[in-house]
Amino acid sequence: MKRKVISISADATTAEAAALYVKSHVGLLPILDDSGRPIGMIQLSDLLNLELPDFIRLVSDVDFVHDFGAVETTRPTREALSQPVTAIMQPVVMVEEESGLLRAYALMLQRGLSDLPVVNAKGKLVGIVSRVDLGTAILAVWPS
Amino acid sequence: MRQVDMLLPIILSTLIFLASLAFIFTERLHRMIAGLAGAALMLAAGKLLGFYSEAQAVAAIDFNTLGLLLGMMILVALLEPTGFFQYLAVWAGRLSRGRQVRLMILLGSVTTVLSMFLDNVTTVVLIAPATILICEILGVSSTPYLMAEALLSDTGGVATLVGDPPNVLIASASGFSFIDFLTHALPIVAVIWVVALVLLRYLFRRELAERPRSARAVMKLNPAEALDDPQTARRALIVLGVAILLFFFHHTLHLSPSFVALCAAAGALVWIRPDVKRTLDGIQWSVLVFFGALFVMVGGLEAAGVFTAIVGLLDGAAAVPPVLLGVILMWVVAVLSAIVDNIPITIALIPVIQGLGAAGLEIRALWWALAFGAGFGGNGTIIGSTANIIVATLSERTHAPITASLWSKRGLPVMLATCLAATVLYVLAYPFLSR
Repeated sequence: MKRKVISISADATTAEAAALYVKSHVGLLPILDDSGRPIGMIQLSDLLNLELPDFIRLVSDVDFVHDFGAVETTRPTREALSQPVTAIMQPVVMVEEESGLLRAYALMLQRGLSDLPVVNAKGKLVGIVSRVDLGTAILAVWPS
Repeated sequence: MRQVDMLLPIILSTLIFLASLAFIFTERLHRMIAGLAGAALMLAAGKLLGFYSEAQAVAAIDFNTLGLLLGMMILVALLEPTGFFQYLAVWAGRLSRGRQVRLMILLGSVTTVLSMFLDNVTTVVLIAPATILICEILGVSSTPYLMAEALLSDTGGVATLVGDPPNVLIASASGFSFIDFLTHALPIVAVIWVVALVLLRYLFRRELAERPRSARAVMKLNPAEALDDPQTARRALIVLGVAILLFFFHHTLHLSPSFVALCAAAGALVWIRPDVKRTLDGIQWSVLVFFGALFVMVGGLEAAGVFTAIVGLLDGAAAVPPVLLGVILMWVVAVLSAIVDNIPITIALIPVIQGLGAAGLEIRALWWALAFGAGFGGNGTIIGSTANIIVATLSERTHAPITASLWSKRGLPVMLATCLAATVLYVLAYPFLSR
């Protein structure tokens, strides 16, 4: 688990969240309230959806599309980028420090997440665990 | 006392029917739930007051309509996962070479031809996603295309017996054959289709004049790769083709359209042997249950004597010139269809027309007026038809969502123009339509 967590405050804009992603190369941005409790989260895909809208999920596959044409050069609008992160955030999925490894892994599998915020007994964010952190921790105790 | 005994069933059954419609129209309840609850209440009231029995309720269900819809839904459910609809849209995209007007005509024509034989909603559900993809690749607004697809599929559906649920109902009630629709409705729909397309071209002239940012990318689309399962597509299309051929001769062969459709579905299932669960998932069960429930409700109205009372009130109808009566019916149905679902309107009006026929009026042309009103009226508003709702919902996932006000600016003129054209053609062709 990483204890040095990059997070963003609820009053930040979507553009600021994108800039933070570019700068810090993280997989998930928890959104914290003033007391440090997670109130939501933004995944990389939430931001990328602004560039490649949801319509792509409407077609069964994209094998037949060899050139995305104008989609490649369509950037999110100014309005989309100036909206607060709270407008596009998702409900936070998190585990407590005391949770078992498999509970955390099962949550990740079910929700399709690659990172999971970890909170202490008071609900404050204390770290982020990645799928790799968890997976290797589970494998480490296997009999050799 | 006798009068009260006769009036109570009429009032109660009418109230149940109207309350159920109110829930459907305000979308407070899903239409299937509102319909089934209404049917249950109608039968309960009928049993309590002794005007409607379970046997009558079962007899009121038009299994010809349900069988035809089910058979065609199974064929579409088999065709759906093959990517055939995507293939057609991609093919149209390539053929357009990125020229907007050409793309609109091609996609509009594909949608129309498909919706003449398949359910409009399914056609639009399957064509619209590929349309959005093509428009995004071109870098143009998908709004003109999505609206054209919804409006033209609603229009095209009027042309054949199997094109639209109201037509299935009308054919079943009037005894019109597949050929009757081709000789009476198709020529009128063909003219109206052109009117709708020309008007759409004019209304969207600004959007369609824009040069696509990336016209060359669309040429790199590969239709063959869009077809996921060519073998199943081929088999389903062959069976569909045979079914359509049999529809042409169903009257001469003394086969009901529902028998033809269910035989085709059975044949296709045996030939393709699909994953049954997946195929059944593709069937719109809620539509079938909704139809069944509406039949039971309307059967209750009939048993309570509501339609006899209405026909009695329409006593003056005989004095109205028959052509004018048809035009009035067409416009009333069109305006109602623009606001509400055209299926309950059609089901409720069928017994009224039959009652007028029993009273000695010439009703053959009235059936066509009902079909035209129900078919073209739905174009007027964003909630006028399920196809409209679907393209609007899908457009919310693009950069340019279609709003209700946009629809009233672009869809309403199309509805008014098509109804006006239908009126002129109805009046001109009246001697033929009443034969």
